[in-house]
Amino acid sequence: MSGASLTAAGASAPAYQKVGSIRRERRWALIGAYVALAVFVVFFLTPPFHMLVTSLKSSSEIADLAGNPWIVQSPTLENYRDLLHEGNYLLHFRNSVIVTLVVVAITMVISIFAAFALARMRFWGSAVLATGVFLTYLVPETLLFIPLFQIIGGIGLYNNLLAMILIYPTLTVPFCTWIMIGYFSSIPKELDEAALIDGANHFQMLWKIFIPVALPGILAATIFAFTVSWAQFLYPMAFLVSSENMVLTVGIASDLIRGDTFQWGKIMAGALMAAAPPLLVYAFLMDYYIAGLTAGATKG
Amino acid sequence: MADGNVLTAPGIPAAVAPPRTGRLHRLARRRSTLAFLMTLPLLAVIGGLVAYPFFYAIYLSMLNKRMTRFVGLDNFAFLLTRETFQYVVWQSVIFAVSAVIAKALIGFILAHVLHTLPAKGQRKWRGMLLVPWVIPPAISTLAWWWLFDPTYSAINWMLMGIGAPPVAWLGEPGWARFAVILVNVWYGAPFFMIMYLAALKSVPDQLYEAAAIDGATGWQKLRYVTVPMMRNIIAITVLFSLIVTFANFDIVRILTNGGPQDRTHIFGTYAFQVGIQSGDIPLGSAVSLFMFPILAVFAVFVLRGVTRRSKEMAG
Amino acid sequence: MADISGMTRRDVLRAGAAGIAASTLAAPAVHGQAAGGRLALGFWDHWVGEPANAAMRAIVNDWAQKNRVEVTLDFITSVGNKNLLTIAAEAQARQGHDVLSFPTWHVHEHQRLLEPMDDVMGRLIQKYGPVNQASEYLAKIGNTWRAVPQTAGTQYKGSAARIDLLKQHAGIDVQAMYPAENRLGPGAENWNWDTFLVAAQKCKEAGYPFALPAGTFSDATDWIGAMFRSFGADLVDERGNITIRNNDKVRQALDYAKRLFQHIPSEMFAADDATNNRALIAGRTALIFNPPSAWAVAKRDAPEVARNVWHFPSPAGPVSHTTPHLPYLYGVWTFSRNKSAAKALIEHLSQIEQVQKLVDASVGYDIPAFASMFDDIDTWRKVEPPLGTVYNYPLRPHHKAVPNIAYAPAPAEIAVQMYTQGIQAKMIARMVQNNEPMERVLAWAEQEVEGFKRG
Repeated sequence: MSGASLTAAGASAPAYQKVGSIRRERRWALIGAYVALAVFVVFFLTPPFHMLVTSLKSSSEIADLAGNPWIVQSPTLENYRDLLHEGNYLLHFRNSVIVTLVVVAITMVISIFAAFALARMRFWGSAVLATGVFLTYLVPETLLFIPLFQIIGGIGLYNNLLAMILIYPTLTVPFCTWIMIGYFSSIPKELDEAALIDGANHFQMLWKIFIPVALPGILAATIFAFTVSWAQFLYPMAFLVSSENMVLTVGIASDLIRGDTFQWGKIMAGALMAAAPPLLVYAFLMDYYIAGLTAGATKG
Repeated sequence: MADGNVLTAPGIPAAVAPPRTGRLHRLARRRSTLAFLMTLPLLAVIGGLVAYPFFYAIYLSMLNKRMTRFVGLDNFAFLLTRETFQYVVWQSVIFAVSAVIAKALIGFILAHVLHTLPAKGQRKWRGMLLVPWVIPPAISTLAWWWLFDPTYSAINWMLMGIGAPPVAWLGEPGWARFAVILVNVWYGAPFFMIMYLAALKSVPDQLYEAAAIDGATGWQKLRYVTVPMMRNIIAITVLFSLIVTFANFDIVRILTNGGPQDRTHIFGTYAFQVGIQSGDIPLGSAVSLFMFPILAVFAVFVLRGVTRRSKEMAG
Repeated sequence: MADISGMTRRDVLRAGAAGIAASTLAAPAVHGQAAGGRLALGFWDHWVGEPANAAMRAIVNDWAQKNRVEVTLDFITSVGNKNLLTIAAEAQARQGHDVLSFPTWHVHEHQRLLEPMDDVMGRLIQKYGPVNQASEYLAKIGNTWRAVPQTAGTQYKGSAARIDLLKQHAGIDVQAMYPAENRLGPGAENWNWDTFLVAAQKCKEAGYPFALPAGTFSDATDWIGAMFRSFGADLVDERGNITIRNNDKVRQALDYAKRLFQHIPSEMFAADDATNNRALIAGRTALIFNPPSAWAVAKRDAPEVARNVWHFPSPAGPVSHTTPHLPYLYGVWTFSRNKSAAKALIEHLSQIEQVQKLVDASVGYDIPAFASMFDDIDTWRKVEPPLGTVYNYPLRPHHKAVPNIAYAPAPAEIAVQMYTQGIQAKMIARMVQNNEPMERVLAWAEQEVEGFKRG
């Protein structure tokens, strides 16, 4: 948080003899910066822009090859309206929200406890576990989902949202635990000693000291878990079949593509609306995210 | 595990060790039991839904196609003799390595550029540059696919506008490889950007000031201050991204489904085609497992380096 | 926005949604009487679109109410091979639907998990006569029927061509060649791959190249399979022997393909099942190999294109006149908890009254497996514009063509792998895109297919 506002202050670097050259250097650096930014913003935003334009077109305008694909002739909100009033889009949205919120909650509980234990309360195998947690990402989803069919089928959760709630944490927990370990280790040991001397137990210590102090890290982990759960594709594709059980990522593809009829206007509208929750989350929590990642990842 | 707890208990850090041994011993034992309990949910998730299926998948990869007979490493040996699979290995490496390098470079440049901006403008630019990362990739890839579609391609429309011939983006092996890498870079670069930006912000300004006083040029500051300070985060981000990119599935699956001529298949999509679509689940598992040892060795080295450096920094 | 059935699209969607709502609302009332239990169905999501699905839903709901069975019906798309994934997933999970739609080789693939259907098939055959050979070949394993040929989704992939463009640029009058009656017209005897090659070249030069996919999706696999077969070019014989390297017919077919693909845009090597449809609907191609789904969508989105589309068999080869065929089959998992209801429903769906409704709703797309039904169903005669456009879409006796399953007659466990990996299409791509010499391509294919023979 603080970092963002401090950067500008870098300008007030000690200016002794070489004031002029530094200023000139800085100006050129700024111009270069804006040019680079402009180039990449164009690259990054071209597809979303095209999505936006397409989402505002009627299907006949999209199908019209004579038209300019980058311009809307007669903008319409009909795609958005149709999505919100018909079909299962809202249901998919709701499912995505439910799964994501539950998974984020589960993830945070699991990883905060685990990270606290691993960072502070060494026990047999804790060091190996702390590193090993990260290595779980080495096992690819395309390998796991075949055995998972049997596990999920065995407990009767095939084609059920609960299966997602069960599986997603395998994708979120390791990285979040990793961030949290880094963050917790950066908290000075004197703090817990003081707490222990005051007679606090470990839960109180975690609740009263670690969580408040590590809040930026917790937020960073939360955002990560949110992004991953919101965007996951392979598992819902593999495990969800009925439209009413689907989450957004698979729901959009399976309900708005009917055979060779790609309802592009609606697909784009659906995609943009699907991007809104993470965008909002980032917009509000970005500074915490950056601060949190720094502490977590560098001091791991 | 429980024995282990008792055994290690005396090794508890001295920081909290006042000289009342009996009580300490009890306390420490209770503490490590508690710690174990706190880690239990993590162990359950990893053990039940990653480790167990992982070992089961290893077992699967050693069965014959009908899953009736144990064949040892035959599936792996068989794969190595397949021309198509050799291509898949090669393509996965090209895909992952070039995409990660491009993402890392772009992320690094953008983070730097953002870092030099005044705080107010920075947030706006940062928001715009983050957009590719927040749209679920399965859906944004669909949008890219539409941009590449031979009939409706809006990119070709622009090319034609400037008089260039249309490109068969997904039809020619070379272009198709380029396209899948491009989309992966587009999606992943913002992640690097945030990670690096975070790291840059953690570099104390005094270091730059000191360097400036010593007369360091911009390049020298980058070389001797920024990069060393960011070593760990670069290592972690590259490692994480490399693993995830090697395991990528949705981008290739949606854009090309491995075609043309299997020239864009990577491990994930090829495993899917062999295992699920053609019904050879053991062989599919073997394909997915192929990268594991190499990446594991790489990961262990990187992680050890990170741990060592952070200890040095902390000490 | 007028739709195929005359309703607006929104009406159809609403009707569909109401259908879902009705079926779930009705459920508790039925549940109390506990007569027929539950049944979960996963049917192919129809490419003609919602009208075809709605017809299926109506039939199923009607049956469910009469038989007091609580039914859930999912339409599972073949886009991105989601249906294959679902089949594989449920086979592994031993859970999911009671009945699924299995395309081509996947009955063989999962035969050990599929309930024998001899009783149902016995009654149907007694009533409607023999089943077409292709379906029997795919569904009857040993002496047991493991699945029941399904009308909905079963399709031919003959030519769907522009009347105007072929006449203007290639001098072929397809309406005269295949008139909407039981006879062949002038020129039909010359409708072979050589004629086709010339037409492809002329249409390419005129800016309307044939949109023939050559990727790994079923549209590509099916037409290329039929083309190879019409040259007599089998990669594997029925005993599982590889017949690639010293097979002149394979060389002939490949050599032909190489010449043909000089006139096909290179992006077709990455085409999926919808690329060719889009090209037709957008008015960019003179010919595709497809069932009438592309035409049906064009009727809604590009009516002037639809008015000029005619469906007729694919060209004949030197050895036989094959037309690509992709049957879907109803299979009941052995782990289904309500097999008797599943069988009863399948039998109900296979009766001519229901078949007629399905064929109607799909504007003739769906093909029943019983030849005896063809004369009783008048859909193909009536669909327009132009009147009779799908008359020659189902193979009729006077066509003297045979339905072809790609990679038949190879044993199923080899065929399914060649099929899903599109070996023939890749052979062509190597010849055309990479300019690899024939010997090298054949050697590659042989090595690849050898790999598929592993048990």
